[in-house]
Amino acid sequence: MPLVALRDLHKRFGATQALRGASLELEPGSIHALLGENGAGKTTLVRALYGQVAPDSGEIAVDGKPVAIASPRQALALGIALVHQHSMLVPALSVAENVVLGERGSAFLPRARLHAEAAAVLGRHGVAVEPGALAESLAVGEMQRVEIARALARGARVLVLDEPTAVLAPSEVSALLQLLVELRARGMSIVLISHKLEEITAVCDRVTVLRAGETVASRPLAGLDAAQLGRLMVGDALPPPGRPPETEPGPVALRLAGLRAEGLAGIELELRAGELVALAGIDGNGQRPLEEVLAGVRPLDAGRVELLRPPLALLSADRQRTGLVLDLSVAENLVLPEAAHGGMPPVFHGGALRSAELARAADEAIARFAIRAAPDDPVRTLSGGNQQKLCVARALRARPGVLVAVNPTRGLDVGATAAVRDELRAQARAGTAVLVVSTELDEVLELGQRIAVLFRGVLLELPAGERSREAIGRRMLGAAAA
Amino acid sequence: MKRARVFAGPIAATAVAFVVAGVWLALLGADPLRALGALVGGAFGDSLALETTAVRAGPLLLVGLGVALSFRCGIWNIGGEGQVAVGALAATAVATRVAAGAPGLVALPLALLAGTVAGALWAGIAGVLKVGRGVSEVLSTILLNFIAALLVAWAVHGPLQEASGAYPQSDALPAAARLALLPDLHLAHSGLVLAVLLPLAIWALLFRTAAGLRLRAVGASPEAARYAAVSPELETVRVLLLSGALAGLAGAIEVCGVTGRLFENLAAGTGFTAIAVALLARLHPLGVLPSALVFAALAAGSGAMQRSAAVPSVAVQVIEALVIFFSVGFALPRRESA
Repeated sequence: MPLVALRDLHKRFGATQALRGASLELEPGSIHALLGENGAGKTTLVRALYGQVAPDSGEIAVDGKPVAIASPRQALALGIALVHQHSMLVPALSVAENVVLGERGSAFLPRARLHAEAAAVLGRHGVAVEPGALAESLAVGEMQRVEIARALARGARVLVLDEPTAVLAPSEVSALLQLLVELRARGMSIVLISHKLEEITAVCDRVTVLRAGETVASRPLAGLDAAQLGRLMVGDALPPPGRPPETEPGPVALRLAGLRAEGLAGIELELRAGELVALAGIDGNGQRPLEEVLAGVRPLDAGRVELLRPPLALLSADRQRTGLVLDLSVAENLVLPEAAHGGMPPVFHGGALRSAELARAADEAIARFAIRAAPDDPVRTLSGGNQQKLCVARALRARPGVLVAVNPTRGLDVGATAAVRDELRAQARAGTAVLVVSTELDEVLELGQRIAVLFRGVLLELPAGERSREAIGRRMLGAAAA
Repeated sequence: MKRARVFAGPIAATAVAFVVAGVWLALLGADPLRALGALVGGAFGDSLALETTAVRAGPLLLVGLGVALSFRCGIWNIGGEGQVAVGALAATAVATRVAAGAPGLVALPLALLAGTVAGALWAGIAGVLKVGRGVSEVLSTILLNFIAALLVAWAVHGPLQEASGAYPQSDALPAAARLALLPDLHLAHSGLVLAVLLPLAIWALLFRTAAGLRLRAVGASPEAARYAAVSPELETVRVLLLSGALAGLAGAIEVCGVTGRLFENLAAGTGFTAIAVALLARLHPLGVLPSALVFAALAAGSGAMQRSAAVPSVAVQVIEALVIFFSVGFALPRRESA
C-alpha cells in the first residue's frame, strides 16, 4: 500500500488548468522523482499535498485513508513536510531558534538548552551547522538542510522538496543528495522535484512525469536513461545540445570602457553586431552590478558605457523582482517599456492606450513564443518558464541593437531552455549584438562565440583556441588572472 | 463577472456593517429598524434629503479619486484635508480679491483653476520632499494638513477677512464666482456634474493611457518599473500633483458651490473620510462614486436618525467606522498563487 496517494487531481487557476488528472503514489522508504516541464503542474501538485492549494476534484489518501488537507498545519500533523526552493527560515533568528520555532513548549527557553536541543536535532540528521549562527548568514544549501532537519524533528515521514538543487552550487548538490540517500535508508519517503535528469537517475527509485497537468508516466526508474526521461517529459526527442551560431561580426555595437562601480573593478569589453559573447563566472563576481549598470540603475564611479547601436534590451536575472511587474497582466507587462516617456506607437498614441493594438501585440507574442497564458492573466499566475518567455518577447519588441541576457534559462525546463537559447542565437544571426551572462558552464559553451569569465569585477577573456570547461573553470577560480 | 466582483465586496461590507450596527443599536435600547430606517430616510427620503446627500458626496468623490490614484501608485497621500483647505483658500482669494469685478465667464473658471493648482502644489511639496530628500509622504502630507489649516485661520483673521471685520470669515463670493444651482433644485450645484464625469475620466487615465500603466506599474513594483525605463520618482511627483489637484478642486467647488465663503474648518474631515471612500471602492475609480454616496448618506442621514429615533448622531460615526472596518476585511482579495 502506498504511504501517500494523490489520485486524479484537478485544479484550475483563472484561465489556466494547472492540474488535469495528476496522480502520484509514494511508496514508504523511497525517493520518488517528480518530473515535468515548467508549468506542467509539479508545484501545484505538491502544494495540494501540503494543504496550500485546494484541488477542485480528486482524492488524497495517506496510509490508505482518504484525507482532506486544508492547511500546512494539517499536512504536518499527517507527517508531510514541504521544503520550499527559497528558504522559509526567519533570517534574523538563529538556527536554533528557527528549529524550535512554532513548536509547543514552555514559554521561556534558556539559550543553553535551546542550543543543546537544536544541536541534537541537527546532529541526529547529519546537518553540521552552528546552532547559534543567524539563519541569514548560512549558505543556501545549509538553509535547506536546516529546514529538512526541522521538518524531521517535527515527525515528518514524507519530505517533499521543490527543486532544491536549482539554487545550489555543485558541491552543495552532492551533499544534499547524500543526505536524501541516508534519510531513505532510515525509512523516510521523499518526493524530489528536479529538472536535472542526472540527479534523478542518481538517487531516485521511481519517477512520475507530469505533462500539462496530467500524469503521463509513473514507473520504476531502473532501466530509464536521461534521454528517455527527457522524451517522457517533453513528449518527443530531446533537442541536441546547441552550438554557438556562426556569424560574421559587424561594427562595434556596445563598448564597455573601464567600468568601475561598486562590485566592478574595470570591465573592458567590445561587443560587435551579430556577435554572441558569453560571460561565465561564479555568482557574486560582478554579475548583478554589471546588469544594474547596463539597466541604468547603478551609478558608475568611472568608465563609460558606449551604446553605438541602440536600443539596448535587457533580460534581467531576477524575473520576479526586476523583470516583470507580477500584479500587472501579460499584455501590460509586454508593453510597459513602451509606456515610458509618454508612450510609443503603435500601442500608444498620443499617450492613449489603444486596446486593439495592445490585444494584437499580446496575441502575437503569446503565439510566437508559445506562452501558456491569456493576455489578461496576471503575470503572478504564470510559471517561471512562461514568465521568461514573456520577458524575451518584451525585450525583442524594442528591436534591440544590443541584447543582454543574464542567466536567461535559470529555473527553466529542457524545452523552454532550448527555446530561449535558440532565440538568442537567432538574434545574433539577425545582426543583434548579444551578451549572455551565465553561471552555467553548459550555457556559456553552447552560446558563446567568444567567452570571458567574470572574476571579482573584472573580465578574463579566453584565448580563441582554449574553449574548454577546464580553461573556464580555472579562470572562475581566479587562476590565470595574470 | 470580474467587474461585478469589484462591487460585491463593498456592498457586502456595507450590509454587514448595518447588521452589526443594528445589533449594537438594539443593545443601546433603541429600535434598530426605526433608527436605521430614519438614517436611510434622512439620506434618500425626499428630494431635499437626496440633494443633501449629493452635495456631501461631491467633495468625498473628488478627494477619494485622488486618494485612490495615489494609493494605486504606492503613494500614501494622507493630506487630502490640507489640499482641500488650500484649494478653498486659493479659490476664495481669487474670487474675492484678484477677480473681484470680473464677469462669470472669467471669475468662476479662474477661481476653480486657482483651487486646483493650489491643491496640486500643496501635495507637490510632499512629492518633492520624498523624491529629493527621502521624506515619507505619510509624514509630510499629515503635517501639511496642520499648516494648511493654520494658513486658512490666518487668512480669515487677516488678509481675507470680511470687510465688516465681524467674524473670522471671508467676504461672500461675488455671484460671478458662484457655481449655479442645477435647474429647479435648492442645494445641488452644477459642480456635481463634474463629480459624475470625473470617475470615468480617471478610470480612462488609469486603464487606457500610458501614464496610467506607468503609475500602476510603479505602485506594484518600483524596481521592475525602473528596469522598464519608468522613473518611480517622476511618477511619484506626478501622482501627488494630480491627487492634490483633485482635492484642491474639491475645496474650490465647496466654496464656489456650497458655502459661498471661506471660514475655518470648512469641509473638515473630508480628507480623512475620503481615504475610507477610496478603500471601500477598492481603489477603483468607478467604485468611488457609489462609495462616496455611502459615506455622504451616512453623514446626511445622521441628523434624521438622531431626531426620530433618539439615537445620538455619534452612532453614525460608529456605523461609518464599521463600514470601513468591514470593507477592509472584505476588500482584500485572498491571494492564491499557482
